[in-house]
Amino acid sequence: MVGLTPLSAGFSLPFVPGIGGVEVTVLFPLVTFLLILAFGRYLPFKGAYLGIVSTGVGFLVAVATVIQLATGAGIRHETLHTLVAGVEGAGVTLTFGVLIDPLSALMLTIVGLISLLVHVFSLGYMNAEGEIDLPRYYAALSLFTFSMMAFVISDNLLMSFVFFELVGLCSYLLIGFWYRKPGPASAAKKAFLVTRFGDYFFLIGVVAVLGTFGTAQFAGTESFVTMAETALESGDASGINTFGFGAQTWFTVIGLLVLGGAVGKSAQFPLHTWLPDAMEGPTPVSALIHAATMVAAGVYLIARMYGFYALSPTALSVIALVGGFTAFFAATMALVKQELKQVLAYSTISQYGYMMLALGGGGYLAAVFHLTTHAIFKALLFLGAGAIIISMHHEENMWEMGGLKDELRTTYLAFLAGSLALAGIFPFAGFWSKDEVLYETLIHALGGGSPVLFVAYALGLLAVIMTAFYTFRMVLLTFHGEPRTDAAEDPHAVSLSMKVPLVVLGVLSVVAGLLNMAVLKSVLPKDALLLERWLNGETVGGEFAEGALTAEHYHHVLTSEYGAGYTAGYGGLGEGTLALVGGVVALVLAVIPALVAWRLYGGADPDPHMTNLGSLRTLLMNNYYQDEYQVWLARGVTLPVATLANKFDQGLLDGIVDGSGGVSLFAGGRFQRLQSGVVTTYVALLALGLLVLLLVFAVTGGWL
Amino acid sequence: MLIELLLAATFLSALWVFVASDETAPKLAAWLSLVPLGLSLYMWTQFDAAGNGLLAGSEIAFETQIDWFQFGQYTLQYHVGVDGVSFPLVVLVTVLTTLAIISSWTPIDERQSQFYGLMLLIEMALLGVFTSLDFFLWFIFWEAVLIPMYFLIAVWGGPRRKYAGAKFLLYTNLGSLVMFVGLFMLVLGLGDSLTQLSLPAIAQGLQAGELSRPVFGLAGADLRAVAFLLLFLGFAVKVPVVPFHTWLPDAHVQAPSPVSVILAGVLLKMGTYALLRFNFTMLADVATSSPAAEIIAAVGVVSVIYGAMLALAQRDLKRIVAYSSISSMGYVIVGLVAFTPHGMSGATFQMVSHGLISGLLFMSVGVLYNATHTRMVGDMGGLADKMPLTAWIFVAGSFAYMGLPLMSGFVAEVLIFIGAFDSTVVAGAPVFTAIAMFGIVIVAGYLLWAMQRAIFGPFELETDYDIEPAPVHDVAPLAVLLGLIILLGIQPDLVYEAIQDAIGPVLELNSVFGGELR
Repeated sequence: MVGLTPLSAGFSLPFVPGIGGVEVTVLFPLVTFLLILAFGRYLPFKGAYLGIVSTGVGFLVAVATVIQLATGAGIRHETLHTLVAGVEGAGVTLTFGVLIDPLSALMLTIVGLISLLVHVFSLGYMNAEGEIDLPRYYAALSLFTFSMMAFVISDNLLMSFVFFELVGLCSYLLIGFWYRKPGPASAAKKAFLVTRFGDYFFLIGVVAVLGTFGTAQFAGTESFVTMAETALESGDASGINTFGFGAQTWFTVIGLLVLGGAVGKSAQFPLHTWLPDAMEGPTPVSALIHAATMVAAGVYLIARMYGFYALSPTALSVIALVGGFTAFFAATMALVKQELKQVLAYSTISQYGYMMLALGGGGYLAAVFHLTTHAIFKALLFLGAGAIIISMHHEENMWEMGGLKDELRTTYLAFLAGSLALAGIFPFAGFWSKDEVLYETLIHALGGGSPVLFVAYALGLLAVIMTAFYTFRMVLLTFHGEPRTDAAEDPHAVSLSMKVPLVVLGVLSVVAGLLNMAVLKSVLPKDALLLERWLNGETVGGEFAEGALTAEHYHHVLTSEYGAGYTAGYGGLGEGTLALVGGVVALVLAVIPALVAWRLYGGADPDPHMTNLGSLRTLLMNNYYQDEYQVWLARGVTLPVATLANKFDQGLLDGIVDGSGGVSLFAGGRFQRLQSGVVTTYVALLALGLLVLLLVFAVTGGWL
Repeated sequence: MLIELLLAATFLSALWVFVASDETAPKLAAWLSLVPLGLSLYMWTQFDAAGNGLLAGSEIAFETQIDWFQFGQYTLQYHVGVDGVSFPLVVLVTVLTTLAIISSWTPIDERQSQFYGLMLLIEMALLGVFTSLDFFLWFIFWEAVLIPMYFLIAVWGGPRRKYAGAKFLLYTNLGSLVMFVGLFMLVLGLGDSLTQLSLPAIAQGLQAGELSRPVFGLAGADLRAVAFLLLFLGFAVKVPVVPFHTWLPDAHVQAPSPVSVILAGVLLKMGTYALLRFNFTMLADVATSSPAAEIIAAVGVVSVIYGAMLALAQRDLKRIVAYSSISSMGYVIVGLVAFTPHGMSGATFQMVSHGLISGLLFMSVGVLYNATHTRMVGDMGGLADKMPLTAWIFVAGSFAYMGLPLMSGFVAEVLIFIGAFDSTVVAGAPVFTAIAMFGIVIVAGYLLWAMQRAIFGPFELETDYDIEPAPVHDVAPLAVLLGLIILLGIQPDLVYEAIQDAIGPVLELNSVFGGELR
């Protein structure tokens, strides 16, 4: 694909502005949002087609951008809008701008593609089902696509925060789409509030970055990333304000603060609780926002400023541990869930854990790779789940399904492809990317990194086993065996508009792994690792390398003395051999639980084996009582404190005022005559007061 | 000339409306209020001020300075003009008054001519406060605001209107008294060198040097400090700063919603505006000294968090918004005391932004109340179903209050945070800032909760009124405010540039007094 056979340099698509104006990609959905908001009711299919056209064109521009980058166009970094101009020499300037480099172009393509497919899918899922309020749905979807794309092309941290919050708003609106029911209304609130808690730390981080460096730019020599690197490399932090801390310590603090936002948005422990609830939203929304794109924003953010994180071994260790633990922790909960979307929700949390693990473990490339493949196969699984839910007349419990594979052939095959990718079975997409995540973490742990990396790696490995198990349990319960209900006996047919996205994503789930077959790096020619070449900017001009945004550069910082000081170790095996061994181990660890699942759930009428887990199952079904704990924090701690403050305020503070002042007296009746009097009484009263005051001063001041 | 025209037009409009009949007054007042609105917008196109109106080397826009009468050694003047700090507030007053008048059409159904007359009268007084540059004149307007506001609360308010009105009047008047004493101590301390009471003269006199004459046995730095304290306490009531805030929820809950719009939207800004002019400009040396700066920062942080916690405990929509105002005004204090470009300018921007946002929320709560006849969150649910436009605008306003980006509240708050974090005046500024920022989480907590209960979920209404979508004249002002909030959120430099220009010289004072500018 990209980069293999460079297209001629003069190549350009006449009908799309391409890299020179990629911001138009972003503007299409914005205009669509406004149009649907204003005229949605009158538009054909309530705005669905408009959304399809605008995301379609957006996707084409993104592809054109990728092609142009692949054929040697330089990166684009330009300020487009000045939000607040700082006064010369004092006060920072806040801007919006675009940064188009291999990372953002790749992400832009993913967002464009998934958004387009979800729009198409919605024709079947929403329009055909006779939902009301569709203009609101499509308007919010367009607003989301706009915000997400703008987030992706952000050239500075403040702009990232702005659109990070806006995608959160869209998520709120879409989770709460069916707001008349109490469930979605509550889930929407929870999602915004929990992620807001993470964003609180993120915003402190943004403010700290601006206070420290005076800029929040990601790229270029004047960027905060480069300034931080230079400060540590030269040991001279005189140009920046580290607020009395050592430079590296302060960078770690900033890094961890920004991480707070990523933990919230990417649903990492302990701020993951909103994501399963977010499944109250329409399923296409779950696929787009709560699986493929918005949830990826946290990971993308860390990747976007990876040059900064690569400077702090502590921050990286924390990220690895959070990621590894979340991957494991969420997978345990997915084991026992009965509802299709719940399994997928916990699976999503777990998979984002892998990406965090990769980032913390020094695998920038692996994280981006897994982000890409996961976006494809998880969007597929959610859309597949949507197709199943429609055909099952909105039944989501897997125990009410069974035997759907014969009736829903296309859906089954596509869903199976996605499941094999999720479980990490060779040669599906997830196999390659998940393996690379584990491999990168392992070599940096072996290389003498922090012992935390070993722990995180082990957790990630355990999660592989569980992932394969719950994935096959899900597939078998849904599609195999005998139909367990009337609805499963005679499912509703899946319409074409739903099939097409499934097929496209199904095919991609099979082949996306080809992007970077690092497991086979010992046997493949070096040029075959396409994604690595892409993120190293080998197709992009020299300007890019200087921009310090390449995977190579991040690796350089990561392994340098002044940076995180990571080194790669291969445990006595060669690099290529270890990669191969790691791949085989991961495959075996995935295949065995898959076989176990087959044994347990593969029969015509499987038993609910998970009930054998007893109280452990209860614990898992209740999500370790994490939600109860958070509710307790809100209702058991915060609310009583607020109520107490209110009592104090009403009783004591206001009591003093009422008691001491003449308020009650004045209002109470003794001044009734004055009270009912005319304006002049008051004017006279005030004037009299003023006169007395002046007289006092006149006398004390001695000028009368 | 334009300011005189502005004041005169508003005053004459008020008189006209007073003598009009109750039937014609609502529409007449709205039409007449377009005159000051149009004038202020025209002035915007002509605005050419540079620097800070109180400090040397500035150019004041639309300035008029005429000797009025002699009082002892002082020549009292009619002296008006605007700079980058005051002009945005002037525009805010005219915009909010027009919108508040239109939004009064539905709820105000008795003694209309008096109501609308008082609304225009209060507009005139507010315009006077933000344009006066002579202390005596300024004080007259400052006090004149109270009278119409008292009547608006005490006559057209809720069941406990008399109590709330009296509390408002007495409490804020007591504040004025304390503040007045503080200022006159400074005036007397300046001695013979001061021959007029114009604010620039006092400010520049104070900057020039020592207070030569002892007042009440105090002189020099002590006198400055005591005067600073008295001024601060006086204005703190108005802002209001915790613990001087208890008049505010009562006043808001009892006042009719359009009056709350003016009260929260503009009256509170009188306090922060005066703090900026007097405490942080005239007495910048005291404000930047330790531990005064730290104490003020702490007071601001307490206002933010404590106000937000109180809002969290409320069940009445209007009380929720009222307590939120205390929290938002706390941000202004945090920003002002930082003495950094974005801190002080952001605080001023927050005055404008909060005027629009709190106006929007109070107004939409009012529109919801017109239909439901209740404001208790527990008594209603699912309003989005019955009056979608109002409900969604309320949702948008709530998100604006939460500081959603691309709306003015975000810009204001983020600028304050950036400025406050960087402060060299306040020791431990990053810690103060980080704590204050937690307000953005609490505000999300109670507004999301209120929306979930009142706007979303299945429809229910305890009061059993038939609900119909609100009339256009109720919704249009909301839409205008929302538009302005988004406009300023995307293009804050429309006013922020002027604000920064006027704040710049104030910051230089800090370096004059030995501080350091970053």
